[in-house]
Amino acid sequence: MYTVIIQQALNALQLGAIYALIALGYSMVYGIIRLINFAHGDIFMVGAYIGLGVALFLKPPFLVLVLVTMGLTALLGVTIERVAYRRLRHAQRMSAVITALGVGIFLENFVRAAISANPQAYPVLIAPRTLSLSGVSTTNVQLMVIGVSIALMLVLRYIIRQTMLGKAMRAVSDNKEVVPLMGINLNLIVSATFALGSALAAAGGIFYGQAYPMIDPYMGIVIGWKAFISAVMGGIGQVDGAMLGGFILGTVEVIGATFRSTLRDGIAFAILILVLLIKPTGLLGRPVTKKV
Amino acid sequence: MHTIQPEWQIMRDRLRLGWRGYAAAGVYAALVILVMLAARYQWSIGSVELANPYYLHNLTLIGINVILVASLNLVNGYLGEFAIGHAGFLAVGAYASSVVTLLFHQSFWVALPVGALAGAVVGYLIALPAFKTFGDYLAIVTLGFNMIIVNIIQNLEVIGGPRGWGGQPKMTSFWLVAVVAGLSLIILRNLVYSNYGRVWLAIRENEIAAEMMGVDVMRYKMIAFVIAAFFAGLAGALWAHYQQYIHPSSFTYLRTTDLLVMLYLGGMASLSGSVLGVTIMTVLLESLRGVLSQFNLAEWRMVISPLVLIVIMLTRPQGLMGNREFAFVPRREEVPRREPARG
Repeated sequence: MYTVIIQQALNALQLGAIYALIALGYSMVYGIIRLINFAHGDIFMVGAYIGLGVALFLKPPFLVLVLVTMGLTALLGVTIERVAYRRLRHAQRMSAVITALGVGIFLENFVRAAISANPQAYPVLIAPRTLSLSGVSTTNVQLMVIGVSIALMLVLRYIIRQTMLGKAMRAVSDNKEVVPLMGINLNLIVSATFALGSALAAAGGIFYGQAYPMIDPYMGIVIGWKAFISAVMGGIGQVDGAMLGGFILGTVEVIGATFRSTLRDGIAFAILILVLLIKPTGLLGRPVTKKV
Repeated sequence: MHTIQPEWQIMRDRLRLGWRGYAAAGVYAALVILVMLAARYQWSIGSVELANPYYLHNLTLIGINVILVASLNLVNGYLGEFAIGHAGFLAVGAYASSVVTLLFHQSFWVALPVGALAGAVVGYLIALPAFKTFGDYLAIVTLGFNMIIVNIIQNLEVIGGPRGWGGQPKMTSFWLVAVVAGLSLIILRNLVYSNYGRVWLAIRENEIAAEMMGVDVMRYKMIAFVIAAFFAGLAGALWAHYQQYIHPSSFTYLRTTDLLVMLYLGGMASLSGSVLGVTIMTVLLESLRGVLSQFNLAEWRMVISPLVLIVIMLTRPQGLMGNREFAFVPRREEVPRREPARG
């Protein structure tokens, strides 16, 4: 019995790690500029495709592949912010959200038109090996996904807590008006946030391709929304909350799938709505007050 | 001697169509009749048939989309909220009306109001929790309910489940859509110009100020949302009995986004803008279909509408007709008259 539980816990960790990697991007961007970046799920999708392209044309070692893909996707994220969001920073809030929605659909349909609407098989980047230990069997891919994801999250946590960049990001999140007066380049910080978020999403994209070996142009919608649910559940704007939410949602989905797998999307959204109604700021969120 | 006008008189004056309103209605009716005559007698210029089935098909789709976009404008434009679950109510209307015609074997004329009412009821049930949130979160909650509705439909085998559901009688035709869309626009116009519309605008401009003036904000928001859902359900019933096949995947958030593109292109808080937005997008996408397939670029057509949305938001966020109407449907603002000083 407990081998099944450990087995499922590993599955939940793997799914949760991918959700958490994407959720971090939603959460950081929201924390910095109070924008729900609807396009983030699609940045994850494009990241997976970039990884596919790099793997097919350059065939680098795995870690190099992950880093190159993260870099390229970070560039995409920064470009999107520069072209589409920056001009709307002082406009009505909804304009930016609608633009983000448009950017997301643009990315989906662009990939669909440029590559194919059909799902693409992801190349095997690490030779799969099955490991078993006293009845619990797992693969090296699964362990790698969990391990590297957690390592990346720890790096991010270090950046935010210990470096000057992180300090500036936290300052922007606290008060966007005063920060430029302190001689901090606001645009640079926002760009850095998009770069970090997009890079993590790209890592999530590659890991997704390794763990569930098909990718398609519209996969960013559902997975992006699940990641978003994780971010909201943990408390959007909170980095630790995004990780916590990702792992919780992964667990709920793995448990739910043992009952009826076709209902899992509905269950995820039902959880989202419940969280929003009961504790709108999420598990780790700070309360907000509506000001006149 | 100054008497205070009773409220119903003020309302009546404000809703009065005026000669331009009647002219607009007349032109609309004349156009519809002309199109139907052209279709009936196959008028043509040279070898081009004026009202061939392809044009009629697109006009019908424009009509259905006008109902959807104009009703969405009630919530997103006049009330100033950001709801992105409209396709969910479309689905409810389409499936509820199909249940009436296919499972209960009732007439389409029963199914049409049932679809609309089902949309309204589901809209009410969703509005109850949804309007406890606001801003971005309202968007997410409405989208979440849209996804849940689609997910429930996918899991109900009796209405086709994930395979879709076909065999509805073809009851919707161009003239029916034209009539329903015209009536819907008139009803929506009257709502927008009535006291309800004034309250919606007040909430949009400053919710807290409206609340302090004694407005039951929650109630008025729910009314707008339920009415929008009603019209979406109506459009769903029309659509199901036009396409004769419905599939859960046509009611996802991609469908809502199509509507949002049309809405924001046309303009927030503008009914003539909604009509304009739907028409421009439909004509643009249909004409691109032909042009692009000549260059073997048919797939790129789908990239156009999100690009349009982004460009509008960056250059003209209020849309083509934001907060204005065509001169044809004038907004009758009563100018406050200066009362002679007394005493």
